Amino acid sequence: MAIQFERVSHQYVGMDQKGYLAIEDIRLNIRGDGELIALIGETGSGKSTLVQHMNALLQPTQGRMNIFGIKVDNLTKKRKDVKLTPIRKQVGLVFQFPEYQLFEETVEKDIMFGPKNFGASEEEAKEKAREIINVVGLDESYLSRSPFNLSGGEKKRASIAGILAMEPDVLILDEPTSGLDPLGRNALLEVFNRIHEELNKTVIIITHDMNTVYEYAKRVLVMREGTLVYDGDPLKLFSKKNIDRWNLDKPEVLALAQDIENKFDIHFDKPPRNKTMLKNALKEALK
Amino acid sequence: MKNIVIGRYIPGNSFLYSMDPRAKIITLLILMIGVFLLDSIVFMLVSIGLIALLLLAGRISIKRVYLGLRPLMFLLIFTFTFQILFNDQGDELYAASTHFSLLTVGLLFVLIVLWLKTKQYIRFKLLYFLLFVVMGFAVLINIDTGLVFATPTFSVHQEGVNMALFIMLRLIIIVTLSTILTITTKPTDLNLGLERVLKPLSLVKINAEEIAMIISIALRYIPTLLDEANKIMLAQASRGVDFNEGKMKDKVMQVVSLLVPMFIISFKRSDELANAMEARSFAPGQPRTKLHELFWHRLDTLALIMALGYFTFAVLTRVLT
Amino acid sequence: MNPMIEMKNLSFAYTKDNLVVDDVNLTINKGEWVTILGHNGSGKSTLSKLMIGLLRAKTGTIKIDGLTLSEETVYDIRKKVGIVFQNPDNQFVGVTVRDDIAFGLENLQIPRETMLEKIDKYARKVNMQEFMNKEPQQLSGGQKQRVAIAGILAMETDVIIFDEATAMLDPKGRKNIYEYMKELNREGVTIITITHDMKEAVDADRIIVLKDGRILKNDTAQNILKDQETLEQSNLELLLPLDVLYSLEKENVNHDALKEYLWQSSLKG
Repeated sequence: MAIQFERVSHQYVGMDQKGYLAIEDIRLNIRGDGELIALIGETGSGKSTLVQHMNALLQPTQGRMNIFGIKVDNLTKKRKDVKLTPIRKQVGLVFQFPEYQLFEETVEKDIMFGPKNFGASEEEAKEKAREIINVVGLDESYLSRSPFNLSGGEKKRASIAGILAMEPDVLILDEPTSGLDPLGRNALLEVFNRIHEELNKTVIIITHDMNTVYEYAKRVLVMREGTLVYDGDPLKLFSKKNIDRWNLDKPEVLALAQDIENKFDIHFDKPPRNKTMLKNALKEALK
Repeated sequence: MKNIVIGRYIPGNSFLYSMDPRAKIITLLILMIGVFLLDSIVFMLVSIGLIALLLLAGRISIKRVYLGLRPLMFLLIFTFTFQILFNDQGDELYAASTHFSLLTVGLLFVLIVLWLKTKQYIRFKLLYFLLFVVMGFAVLINIDTGLVFATPTFSVHQEGVNMALFIMLRLIIIVTLSTILTITTKPTDLNLGLERVLKPLSLVKINAEEIAMIISIALRYIPTLLDEANKIMLAQASRGVDFNEGKMKDKVMQVVSLLVPMFIISFKRSDELANAMEARSFAPGQPRTKLHELFWHRLDTLALIMALGYFTFAVLTRVLT
Repeated sequence: MNPMIEMKNLSFAYTKDNLVVDDVNLTINKGEWVTILGHNGSGKSTLSKLMIGLLRAKTGTIKIDGLTLSEETVYDIRKKVGIVFQNPDNQFVGVTVRDDIAFGLENLQIPRETMLEKIDKYARKVNMQEFMNKEPQQLSGGQKQRVAIAGILAMETDVIIFDEATAMLDPKGRKNIYEYMKELNREGVTIITITHDMKEAVDADRIIVLKDGRILKNDTAQNILKDQETLEQSNLELLLPLDVLYSLEKENVNHDALKEYLWQSSLKG
């Protein structure tokens, strides 16, 4: 078990001096051996607060956490003997807006920043940058460019590279594909998929896109008004009951496949999870 | 979630809150100039009495005013001490020899360490500090055994005491008056008032409207900037930056990793905002009508008259003595 | 048809040779809903800035309601064309919702009494009348965009351009703003939406497909959606039913009922 939430709540004091619970009584176990988890929920449902507990940027105001063996609760910050910074190497968190992160003169230097903070030497960090730049779909020429001259999608990838270079065991990404064009989106999702399948790392993706959830996720967490209301199989998530209950958007491929099955005498043996599978399944069915 | 109150505005209900901001700004100015004209401690104390009445009538909590003064405590003490120690004019009120020896210096050192270690447990920090200062002097003056290598005279003169009190009182009055203004006036109203009051500056080619617009936009973005700063710090913390620790070199890197993104975001923002403003027919330098109107009432005229009254009083105290 | 906007031989480049907008010829009529559809980097966002003179074209002319855009006419032009930009935070000028809606009116030197009426009227139109004293950081992205819309409606322009106005919103916010676009057009406002999302193009009267600064095609929404060749060239993501339909066409699959169903689904977006 890599990350454990034991009845964790987090209370903020808002601008109006009133307290409010951003997350409440969270019970959650995340394994470190290659899960691909989608975290969904409306804006304000507590998703960001939840993931910021996973790399100890925030600590519970109630309850306890266990992150790779390190126990974290509301008193941990005051203790001098527990250092929370090392956790952030093992649990990498990529924020939604690369502008909050990119600051160095070159992309290479920016990617090196994370590893260097965790003790990598100049050469080691340079090597990591060179390895990782291709993984995110950019070529070496990007290393010498200024991060501020990149397009939105390129900035996104550079910021993801900066976290991947730290070689975290758990990778959390907040809306990694928003603002990317379809090609970029698919390429990046394939990268995360590979990290999860080949390197056996756990990847958690916060997304609003049900299509991504349906195609890639092996496990879905649904946040609603600060509580975790669903933790399980993505296919079962999109049952009619759940969709009505939580006002979810149905993934387009699922909706179309179901409509086709209902309206026409066509049946799919395996539910197609993406466009290509749907197209192929139709071709087969109509032969 | 940051818990910041912009400016020091605290909602309330009294004539001070109902006054036109222009009137408040002008009367404040007149009062301040008046205070600077006073040259006797007695009249200073009278003025402080008047301010206390103002606070009572205006339903402003003395506690808030004290909190507004607290940051100045250091300056006040410094000025006070400086005058007491180094002003040697006037009659000598007290004199004593101080003795600097290994023993006394050592004891001073012990006192300092004792203070540093124990101050966090004490509630009335200022008094505690003063207690130690008195103990320090007591040691220096009374302990004269051992190998004494210096005996400078510590003396207090009349003028020193006078000046110390005078400067302190003046500082307190000025700060209290400004605090009253910021406590009772919303930043946006203050901005509006300033804009109108500064209009005559157009004679020296200073455009009060533009300045007010700049201030207004700055006020609008402060919460946004704070929020972004917080998010940037979280993003960099996720890459191993520890904003709480680090040597000088690390601190520089921490600041850079925070400031560069803030600047970049702000530059992009100014570009987009300027486009949006122009798209909505904003043309710098052109006249604009105003949504917010300020309404001058009898209360404001009354306040102005009373301020002028005080000013006359101050001038008279100067001229007649 | 009454031309509202006419662009002739319009070109623009940020740097010397890199033409971001390349010889664009385009006419938009009063009351039309035109969607300019293009991939990221196709030049579409530059067009809105060119239309109101925030950028100066390299070549070509722009006429708005018969008035040719020039240094002398730019302020009059801006009274006719309002733009809702992409970033909800970077177009919110006022300290409160009320102040922000008032901003444009103050610029137009509308007298205070009239201002108060318009602010109230248009805040209601976008359902923000309960939020008049709220500050921007207390609002969601969608709410801020609604305030932006109210501010422009209050200026009573002839045209409203939505320049990727939904791109930074969550799905709920996007749907909400899109409904306002539809409603405004129903009421006769000339609307131009600029987007890379085909879903937001299906309700338009006309679609203009832009690629690398040039117009690939300018036609009714229906005709564009039928044009497989153009759409596949455009680097845009196809609507799912359309994508499936195209692949069935390619494979010469015979199932008219299914194809018709897919076509109808595409039209719904």
